[in-house]
Amino acid sequence: MSAPSESVGRRVPRLESREKVEGRAQYIADLYRPGMLHGAILQSPFPHARIRGYDLAEALAMPGVHAVVTGDDFAEPNRMGAFIKDEHALAKDKVRYVGEPVAAVAADTEAIARAAAQAIRVDYQELPALLSPEEALASPVHIHEGVEQYFKVFDAGSQGNLCSRTEFTEGDIERGFLESDLVFENHFETQAQAHVALEPCGALAEVDPQGRLTIWSANQSVFRVQACVAEALGIPMTRIRCLTPRIGGAFGNKMEPHVQPIAAALALKAKRPVKMILSREEDFEMVRARHPFRIRIRTGVKRDGTFVAREVEVLLDCGAFADDSPGVLGFGLLCARGPYRFPHVRCHGRLVYTNKLRFGAYRGFGNPQVSLAGESQIDDIAEKLGMDPIELRLKNILRGDDRPLGGQILTSNGLRECVERVRDASGWGKGAPSPAAPGKKRALGFALCGHISGLLASGAIVRILEDGTVVLNVGANDIGQGSDTVLSQICADALKIPLENVAFVSPDTDGSPYNWGTTASRVTFMTGRAVVGAAAEAEKQLKQQASEMLECAVEDLELVAGGAVAVKGVPEKKIGFFEIAKRSHWFAGGPIIGSHSWVYDNPTVDPKRAAAIGLPFPRIGAYSFSAIVVDVEVDEVTGAAQVKRAWSACDVGRAINPLLVEGQIEGGVVQGIGFALIEEMVWDGARLANPTLMDYKIPTTREAPYELYPIIVESRDAQGPFGAKGVGEVGLVPVPAAIGNAVKRATGVRLFKLPFSAERILRGMLGTQQ
Amino acid sequence: MDTGLFRPESVAEALALLARLPDAKLISGGASLVAMINARLADPAALVSLAGIGELKQIAAAPGGGFRIGAMARHRDLAAESRFSGTLAVLQMAAAQIANSTVRNMGTIGGAVAHADPGLDYPPALVAADASIEIAAAGGRRQVPAGEFFVDWFTTALQPGEMVSAVHLPAARPGIGLYHKFARVSGDYATVSVALTLVREGRAISTRAAIGGCGPTPLMVAEANRLLSGDPTAENLRRAGELLQAAADPVDDVRGSAEYRRMLIPRMLARAFDEARLRAGAAR
Amino acid sequence: MSDTLHVTIKVNDRSVALDVPLTETLLTSLRDRLQLTGAKRGCNQGVCGACTVMLDGVAVRACLSLTANCEGQSVLTIEGAGADRAIAALQDAFIEAGALQCGFCTPGQLIAARALLEQNPDPSVEDVQKGMSGNLCRCTGYNKIIDAVRTAAGKLQA
Repeated sequence: MSAPSESVGRRVPRLESREKVEGRAQYIADLYRPGMLHGAILQSPFPHARIRGYDLAEALAMPGVHAVVTGDDFAEPNRMGAFIKDEHALAKDKVRYVGEPVAAVAADTEAIARAAAQAIRVDYQELPALLSPEEALASPVHIHEGVEQYFKVFDAGSQGNLCSRTEFTEGDIERGFLESDLVFENHFETQAQAHVALEPCGALAEVDPQGRLTIWSANQSVFRVQACVAEALGIPMTRIRCLTPRIGGAFGNKMEPHVQPIAAALALKAKRPVKMILSREEDFEMVRARHPFRIRIRTGVKRDGTFVAREVEVLLDCGAFADDSPGVLGFGLLCARGPYRFPHVRCHGRLVYTNKLRFGAYRGFGNPQVSLAGESQIDDIAEKLGMDPIELRLKNILRGDDRPLGGQILTSNGLRECVERVRDASGWGKGAPSPAAPGKKRALGFALCGHISGLLASGAIVRILEDGTVVLNVGANDIGQGSDTVLSQICADALKIPLENVAFVSPDTDGSPYNWGTTASRVTFMTGRAVVGAAAEAEKQLKQQASEMLECAVEDLELVAGGAVAVKGVPEKKIGFFEIAKRSHWFAGGPIIGSHSWVYDNPTVDPKRAAAIGLPFPRIGAYSFSAIVVDVEVDEVTGAAQVKRAWSACDVGRAINPLLVEGQIEGGVVQGIGFALIEEMVWDGARLANPTLMDYKIPTTREAPYELYPIIVESRDAQGPFGAKGVGEVGLVPVPAAIGNAVKRATGVRLFKLPFSAERILRGMLGTQQ
Repeated sequence: MDTGLFRPESVAEALALLARLPDAKLISGGASLVAMINARLADPAALVSLAGIGELKQIAAAPGGGFRIGAMARHRDLAAESRFSGTLAVLQMAAAQIANSTVRNMGTIGGAVAHADPGLDYPPALVAADASIEIAAAGGRRQVPAGEFFVDWFTTALQPGEMVSAVHLPAARPGIGLYHKFARVSGDYATVSVALTLVREGRAISTRAAIGGCGPTPLMVAEANRLLSGDPTAENLRRAGELLQAAADPVDDVRGSAEYRRMLIPRMLARAFDEARLRAGAAR
Repeated sequence: MSDTLHVTIKVNDRSVALDVPLTETLLTSLRDRLQLTGAKRGCNQGVCGACTVMLDGVAVRACLSLTANCEGQSVLTIEGAGADRAIAALQDAFIEAGALQCGFCTPGQLIAARALLEQNPDPSVEDVQKGMSGNLCRCTGYNKIIDAVRTAAGKLQA
């Protein structure tokens, strides 16, 4: 590196901070279009029923109603689904969960729309409801009667109520257990967690004068919205334009469609713009949630602590539609071995349809669930072997040339540093931890994980304007994590220009290069690298212009700080971007446009090392790592656990913006605390019992530890832009296991079911487990 | 006119409105009522706002000790009321743990008490404090002991056309009043709460303990109070917990199972009692 | 129309006359009639805090306030808070500290923080945690918010 970095590595406040603190940021609910109508949804009261017919007369007759749509407005072949195309935008022929959208109304006001929706009569014929994976597997009743005919993007093995199945094997698992000195087997269970982004889902659809649909929505990918609306409505993508306002938080819930296709259908029918914003209750009931997992984990080790074999079997509740579930199954199984050397591995599982809300992408994507199992069990193994739990792990973690499951090559590995830094910062093993207050028990707990950032495709376009400033155009949504800022920093440093000289373009399917989405901790890594590539292309063109202007060879030129090209070693011989831009626009060469796109193409599974059946993700991404120590206090009277302090180290490759990286670590840890201790979606029979913020609780300021120390580890990944990898999810993943381990060390109680509510801990302490 | 918002300036005027408009709803802080309106569980055509009635806003010291708390007194003011010392601190502590600071700015004791959600913090505190609820009716005012005011789930001794006008606290006795609340997170309704007052009478103590969150109304058992008074032994404490546990009628809900709530009763009672006793200087 | 009530309130120092149904909330009036969309609807039950505004100088939930019941009262929203020295200090501190991510909860956090600092100009970490427990945030984990509030408090006292 010639010049010191101006932007990369700096704690730059979010570029859009001022508009957010002044209340001027426009989220989907804040948008208004002339002539706009309001949409409302009628939800299914039954978990499983055939739709015999509709009576729309009363609804259509209501003053102020402009359009009504039902499943009849969506043709049969037009189904959406990220992996398995099993879903219509509105229930068609059948309802499959309580709360499922069945019909929708566009009217002058929201109140009229809601009243009209309630006036729609639907003739249902109830079917048996299948409310658990076990029940669904055992039943001759099929939730998706056509599942074997649905289009699938991978070999899912769908049959009956089995949505998909996946298996990874490496080595010889039976031999592995025979060679082990000790074998441990445990069962774990995790619960459905709701995303609870502060902003409920919503969309605004409008038909423009050319008859094209324009759709704004709370979303994690304008391209997914475009594709899904195209699929759901059976119209070409050229007729759909998707844009994004500011997004009020998203943790996987806004990655796949919610009401966008419904709003679009209403807008087409009413011939007026239609805005539809879900209530908080509807957001709980009809979007998506984190998969409940049932996990059986079996680990074989040598007496000296060497890991030999691991088998993990999982059973996932899919809910009524596949959505991202096959990916969660597959990714969860890939992560289930943990970032360890295991010569013999078998990870397998099934995903089963049930008559409940669809489960889908949620920060961690299956890894928090399997890490709970693996990291809890390892602590118990350490105890049995008489080894320190961190030492046992350090003995077995992936090093240097080691490969995670499947055989992907690690291009960077800061895991050991993560472990050592939290161990040292927390004072692990050094005398007594903070003494427990009277009536409390207290202990530290540890866990680690690997996660990935990457997947699929991203592109970037860098343009030099007439005045020499730069426009950066990527298709990546900033969902609050700060990617607009980070990508601008990357662009600024790649071109050695001040950050203020970069204009960032809001994602627009009409004008932006494709970006799969803001998910999978991928934007800094994938889109960032596309930005570096696009900047490099722009640099080439800048240098070409400059070589002609300075009459020298291109190889003799370099970018210099401030936005100029100079002769190497002769800084006075330089030309600014402005001069070059003038020449390019008015004289020769044409305006400078640099672009780059790529798709992650390192295969996940090396067929010489591992076998895979039902692999939903053939090529994933770069590995990130995290280790966490939590200091947990348990109340002896109530059993309530509280995280008093936490040290979370994340290997992010390179922190383009340490302030924003800390924000991701802190936010992830606290969301993980919610998952571990407090949160649970509860079903009362077929209906969700707690779809409100009165009844479903997330951590407040008083449940989040103030002494939360984010530790940034930088392993400089060669694949990443300036060495960066992702951080969005990895901070959350090991949290539940670390807390479980702390509770075990404080109370002697090992819990196997999330959340670790006060009730469960107390019962454990009293020996009266349910 | 039978619809709209009415702003009486006296209790008598408010009662007259309620008599004339039987479907009208009273609104004090508004928090619970408006939440119900937003959830489409209520759609009143007429509202009677109590905001303009002076006597309802005062927290007045009563002659001979004690206090008369107007129904419109806000949680925030009760939470900060430094005059609620000794045993009356139980009410101050309960008010301070309701929801969060913004909601405490809005909610009132009269509105909360009339709503009678068993998860609320006031009911057990008022029972432990031996408070009484002043009810205003067309025929006059009457006072009902807190223990008799809360009748069932969301049901009080209020008859149609009546309103809560005040809460009366007896004179503070030198001693301890405390309110312990266990909830899933800060601001949630209590899973279980214990409201306890403990007074030293020479070498003996006099205790009142009420349990919240464990049935349709706050739970107090006279025999348990007796066991916790005088010079109680550890066995007394255990028996008192058992009695309260046996008398409880908790439900299973997302805040806790009925069985867990029963488990918590003696444990939380013991913690509250031991703390109160220690602070009163009356530990064994 | 006999269905609506005529209400006069002050919003951000400007007198405003509105005709609203009896059961319309202040949040709806601010957002839909006055285009003051800084206050957000996160739950409509008073739990999340994203709708927090000042009413006669006191922090309240706009979603639990009936506009018709606010006759003659004075509302301050985030849009009108620019000239307020405390809010300006908080805004700067939030930006510097990274105390906002998606920003949806931010206007409510700022109003609640301002109310806290008025009651307690020098709050400890625990004071801020207690004082702002009614404003949910799903993105930040709260620490940077707490730091920003205390930083602003320090600035205002200087």
